[in-house]
Amino acid sequence: MSPVPGNSPQLQSLQGNQACALGAIAAGCRLFAGYPITPSSEIAERMSKELPRVDGVFVQMEDEIASMAACLGGSLGGVKSMTATSGPGFSLKQENIGYGIQAEIPCVVINVMRGGPSTGMPTRPAQGDVMQARWGTHGDHPIIVLTPSSVQEIYQQTIQAFNFSETYRIPVIVLYDEAIGHLVDTVELPDPKDIETTDRKWATGPAEDYLPYAPDKDGIPPMPRPGDGYRTHTTGLTHLETGFPTQVPDDVTRVTSRLLDKIENHRDEIEQYELLSCGDADILIVAFGITARASERAVNMARDKGIKAGLLRPVTLWPFPEKALQELAGHAKHVLVPEMNAGQLILEIERLCAGSVPVSGINRFDGETIKPNEVLAKIEELNNG
Amino acid sequence: MVESAMPLKIRQKSVDGARDEFEIRDYLRLDLFPHFLCPGCGHGIALRALLWAIHDLDIEKDQLAIVSGIGCSGRLSAYVDANTFHTTHGRPLAFAAGLKLARPDLHVIVITGDGDCLAIGGNHLIHAARRNLDITCIMMNNEVYGMTGGQVSPTTSLDRFTTTTPMGNQEPGFDACALAKGAGATFVGREVTLQTTALKNLMQEGLVHKGFSFVEVISDCTEIYGRKNDLGSSPEMVLSQKRSVLPRFDGTAVDKPFRAGNWETGILSRQERPEYYSAYRAHCHKVLGK
Amino acid sequence: MNAKKKSAKSVVAVSGPTNVLIVGVGGQGVIMVSKILARLSQMQGLQVKQSEVHGMAKRGGSVFSHIRFGEEVWSPTIPMGEADVVLGLEWAEGLRWLRYLKPGSGTFISDTKRIVPPFSCRDRHHDALHGYAHHTVAEIVKQVPSAYAPNATGMAIELGNERVANTILLGVLSTVMDFPAEDWLQVLPEFVPPKTLETNLKAFEAGRHWTTQPPVPEVQEQAVPQPQAPMRRQVSLEITGEWCKSCDICVKMCPERCLALDDHQIVELVKPNACTGCRVCEWLCPDFVIAVHVDVVPLEAVSADTTTEVRI
Repeated sequence: MSPVPGNSPQLQSLQGNQACALGAIAAGCRLFAGYPITPSSEIAERMSKELPRVDGVFVQMEDEIASMAACLGGSLGGVKSMTATSGPGFSLKQENIGYGIQAEIPCVVINVMRGGPSTGMPTRPAQGDVMQARWGTHGDHPIIVLTPSSVQEIYQQTIQAFNFSETYRIPVIVLYDEAIGHLVDTVELPDPKDIETTDRKWATGPAEDYLPYAPDKDGIPPMPRPGDGYRTHTTGLTHLETGFPTQVPDDVTRVTSRLLDKIENHRDEIEQYELLSCGDADILIVAFGITARASERAVNMARDKGIKAGLLRPVTLWPFPEKALQELAGHAKHVLVPEMNAGQLILEIERLCAGSVPVSGINRFDGETIKPNEVLAKIEELNNG
Repeated sequence: MVESAMPLKIRQKSVDGARDEFEIRDYLRLDLFPHFLCPGCGHGIALRALLWAIHDLDIEKDQLAIVSGIGCSGRLSAYVDANTFHTTHGRPLAFAAGLKLARPDLHVIVITGDGDCLAIGGNHLIHAARRNLDITCIMMNNEVYGMTGGQVSPTTSLDRFTTTTPMGNQEPGFDACALAKGAGATFVGREVTLQTTALKNLMQEGLVHKGFSFVEVISDCTEIYGRKNDLGSSPEMVLSQKRSVLPRFDGTAVDKPFRAGNWETGILSRQERPEYYSAYRAHCHKVLGK
Repeated sequence: MNAKKKSAKSVVAVSGPTNVLIVGVGGQGVIMVSKILARLSQMQGLQVKQSEVHGMAKRGGSVFSHIRFGEEVWSPTIPMGEADVVLGLEWAEGLRWLRYLKPGSGTFISDTKRIVPPFSCRDRHHDALHGYAHHTVAEIVKQVPSAYAPNATGMAIELGNERVANTILLGVLSTVMDFPAEDWLQVLPEFVPPKTLETNLKAFEAGRHWTTQPPVPEVQEQAVPQPQAPMRRQVSLEITGEWCKSCDICVKMCPERCLALDDHQIVELVKPNACTGCRVCEWLCPDFVIAVHVDVVPLEAVSADTTTEVRI
């Protein structure tokens, strides 16, 4: 059932990937370009069914690269666009994600993580793309990465991803693991009129002397819509406010800094996280996705045993909620980072804690999720010091 | 939902009556000139032909989208006063597909090169041809990667010297038009820059065609390829194009080139097949009972 | 337009052979007309010699045929100034051979049909004067002792077949020769395609009838179309020097060779009067340096040079 015609909250039993598709439709996505890849294919399948009903377009492109390109092309045309993939496909999309960042094109990329490297374990969950999501494309660039940890949150965060991408004119990555993607859960689909959706700022005013990349006070330039008379140039080359390339060092510094700052300066609006029992926590757990769910259980089990454990669950993985972490870590005796990789998020936590508190990890990369007991055992170990 | 662009019509011009003259400067971003192409580069001639065709078809600049890839050809889009997109290497057809699907009201033209279109972007070409979206793809074939300094490309002729074939190229090249036709392109043509008016007419036919049209332009890389292979000065190179082509009209002529290896020019294939976006939309409406 | 001026007597020579020169362009039937005339002469028991040139003409080229008949004929060709009749199937061809006509007594018969060859204008400037005959029909009729200039092709079209114009002229010719009309009508079917015989007979009669019409003093002075107010192309080459990269394409490709690179290797117009405004330079300039602007203006408004250069 499409969420669009409904008029009151509905309860539906949905798979994570399907919730993602419905969230996209609710957010106003009207173009999906994709390529089949396990474990994200259900998103494309659901989109192919939903989009024609809302006069949108679904297209299965010839490869992952083309999907990303078509997604950006659709957005350049003024239509909210999305693509979905998994690790290997995400690697292929990276160059065009970089293009989207450089040319400031809103769009949403879903990456349902599976075991890697390379083809790895297509049907097994992993959280190995933490760094690829941040640094996958070359050069200095900003990025927004959202990590839902439940089916309900996939729905909401997909909408949020569109809103962020439209607001900040940037590709937004929704990063979740196969375990959540294939999880079936009861989801409350809100009344469409209660869903907040954001549209990008469109250029208005005279076309003469219009500068497509001249930012407003918020650092974000309004976007010219083809056909509105602005006739601008879009390029992946480092470009001036005019849209045309430059290699003058001062200019490059100015425009690239603006690109980085437009996310950096809006951290307060972008950063989202959830805290559980953090007020007096000696042991601070930092976890996202399916691992956060196991950690939540472990924290509750530890509290039952009188251990002061707490959980910081970043919803925006990038930019990472730095202040929140630093504040909590300042009061904690240990920071524990369980993640389904050989240690990626922990690098960022260690950087932020900068030696002020010991940081340790729980790492699995065998295609199995981290279980609450494993987290609890580590909590107890740290508590016993 | 956005309506598809109005079909284009080729204007019948009176022979001696007043005709509104094509002024290329009306279609250029003049403050970017002179352009960055080398002296004698055929791409400039091809760009003129394209803008001329656009002028004669009365395409509004606001409704015109030019999508290009990377390379010498990729830079051309920047010089056109329209909605222009200089995308990533090999991907302009994929960007254009998204753009056209989102905005069927725009006239979407892709400018690409032999390396961009046939090597790194080969997959996109064959699928764009198969899908038959209403996009016109202008492929400038100069047989070389010029921007990167003159490396061998998928269309480099046998025994030609490039910076990566210092002993002469031994790889066979693509016949891009045969490739596009084989992949299902519903309009395929080839012309040389020397025949500017014929090239313009061919592009015009391609633009009018509803569906995917592929136009290969035989263009000279004078400074890098010509020099390395001793192909003569710019005027000599452009003149010699005559020797390597055989004009052909709309697939009706049975003539074959006199010499083996000569390119046939003209409209090489034209067929009717449902345009992708219209067909998709109509079919969805039918199934959904809209 | 047509005109005639009858001579009092038959053209058939009193002594020596009678010379008839039949001229036209390929495809009009020059050879057929000469064969008919030759056959007729034979029927009168005369010696006939015919000499024709048509091999190179094919369709549209110049064709001529000499016919000489009399008691005794030796040479097959007619010396200049000795033709008793010049029969032109095309106006300019008729005029071309006019000097072969016997001064003072020759008869000139010609269709006023104009077939202007494409190469009659070697000047590529707009509306330049072409080299086709400029004399009006009246001017010619005035010059010649005896002249018949019917609009035979126009009459033939009225009869339903443009190709019988030659038979109409044959009809005209028959009125100035002594041969009996029945003989002409007897010979005609031997040479025309059977399907067109009826039209040809009508055409022959129409030609004869035309000569019996009262002379046309009211020669319609419908002048050969001449450029009344001569117009010329005024071309200006707009040259954006800063964009020129000296590739030399325009210089070498200009059909009139009117461009050159200056001391700074920038294109300039060096032969302004040779430029025809053909735009080859504009089309082939990869750098959009040259813009050709063409105006068609009255000749007197043209500046000293037909083409001017505007430097930007």
